[in-house]
Amino acid sequence: MSFLSSRVAAFSLLAAVALAPGCQRAVYQAKPQLAPVTAQPVGKALPEDAQVAAVITPYRQRVTQQMSEVLGSAPVPLTKNPGESPLGNFVADLQRQRAAAALREPIDVGVVTNGGLRTSLPAGAITLGSVFELMPFENELVVLDTPGPVMQQLFEYAARIKMALSNVTYTVDAAGKPANIRIGGQPFNPAKTYTVAISDYLAGGGDNMIFFKALKPRDTGVLLRTAIADKIRQLNKEGQSITAKVEGRVKVI
Amino acid sequence: MNRRDFLKNSTFGAASLSLLGVSLPAVAASEAKLVILHTNDMHSRIDPFPESDKQWGGLGGMARRAAMITQIRKQEPHVLLLDSGDIWQGTPYFNFFGGELEYKLMSQMGYDATTFGNHDFDNGLEGLQKQLPNAGFPFLIANYDFSKTPLAGRFQPYKVFEKAGHRIGVFGLGIELSGLVADKNFGATQYLDPVGKAQEMVTQLRGPERCDMVICLSHLGYKYESAKIDDRKLAAQVNGIDLILGGHTHTFMDAPEPIQSPNGRATLINQVGWSGINLGRLDYTFARGTRQPTVAMAAVLPVQLA
Repeated sequence: MSFLSSRVAAFSLLAAVALAPGCQRAVYQAKPQLAPVTAQPVGKALPEDAQVAAVITPYRQRVTQQMSEVLGSAPVPLTKNPGESPLGNFVADLQRQRAAAALREPIDVGVVTNGGLRTSLPAGAITLGSVFELMPFENELVVLDTPGPVMQQLFEYAARIKMALSNVTYTVDAAGKPANIRIGGQPFNPAKTYTVAISDYLAGGGDNMIFFKALKPRDTGVLLRTAIADKIRQLNKEGQSITAKVEGRVKVI
Repeated sequence: MNRRDFLKNSTFGAASLSLLGVSLPAVAASEAKLVILHTNDMHSRIDPFPESDKQWGGLGGMARRAAMITQIRKQEPHVLLLDSGDIWQGTPYFNFFGGELEYKLMSQMGYDATTFGNHDFDNGLEGLQKQLPNAGFPFLIANYDFSKTPLAGRFQPYKVFEKAGHRIGVFGLGIELSGLVADKNFGATQYLDPVGKAQEMVTQLRGPERCDMVICLSHLGYKYESAKIDDRKLAAQVNGIDLILGGHTHTFMDAPEPIQSPNGRATLINQVGWSGINLGRLDYTFARGTRQPTVAMAAVLPVQLA
């Protein structure tokens, strides 16, 4: 105790001497006394203010309740991994479908990175809490009108990490380059502009997708997390369980 | 052992730390003391971090912060409770209730003022407007022009508080929103040069408003290597600010940093991390000003306890 007070006292004195004098228009000068510490930890030893705690309680109950809402169920986990994964396919597909519904036009391609999916979806009940863990970010679903040459850069990026895309199949050749690219079953046409459903984060050049930065995203007004939760709810409502599989969107020679 | 470790390992709790303040010899009993309490970047952290959190498990929590503030108010008659923005975003409380609870609890704690952080625009201007009735405290912002938005006329650049027998001028500065916040979320809000606005504020507060102390609530950020404006650059360019309470960079400062302003006087900068892990506290007394010339500080003082 004396250790702390004496040091603080000496420090306050130093600060006061150093900071005090000066000419100023106001009659008084504010002198800091930096004591006892300027950042006081809000730690476990502190009691809770009962009135504030009482205000929080009903909100916490609603959060807990909503987080435990069961959206649907999965017979096996939807796992994530680099390259093509069940969860990656599931999310990339629903992004494309949701963006198409929001903008009332077909969307050619869906893109999500493995890093953007924070955890796998468990087998059994999938709760809203599970979806928050999978997608804690406030990323919004956007659409990029992407010219052929930028699409080519996307495919080269994808081929390097064998990343799958929704509505696309391709082969990674011996040199690690994308080949035999098909979009919606049709051969990729570099002269065409394609629509891409993607998060605003990636559209802004996140995860090194710098080639997208120059494009102006079209907003859907839908959070990626909302799109995921809604899709699971919808499947459940239709009596379907939540499944996704690796189906050979990316072939490696 | 540095100070932070000492505090962590000490057997007396954080609550008793605040009691230490009254026993300090540096504070003359006869002088009215102003106690400034502050937070920044609370990011919807209503409950303490879950115990499972590797870094911050068990820390923070608004009910505990409220208890700490109540305790200090019992001992100190002249308290200013301030915040530097990014009240919102970070826990499901914000996703579910749109910031309602954050504003209600801050009102309950008796916050005197805050400024805007970039995340306070996360639900757009409409989302902000919707929650304003829950905020019993003003949002001070000098360098955002809302005149072409639905929020025109809702915010003041500064407010003068009469505390401890003195006039305390508090103004707010926000970070450039473009590139940080989606365009549609800040709409036609215009960002104005923080340095020019800060000079204007000091002129007004030290002049017609006859303030003895000027505090800037800043969400500019503590320090950038680039030319981007930050609290340190602001302090070095603008005279007449006693204290900058910062935010945005989530900086944990062991002690406030004095920065020499052009006239040689020091401006203190403080920031206390994020998520309500800490409550900042600075105590001020007021001395009659002298006409003596300032002894210019040769360098930034190494104000470090460790």
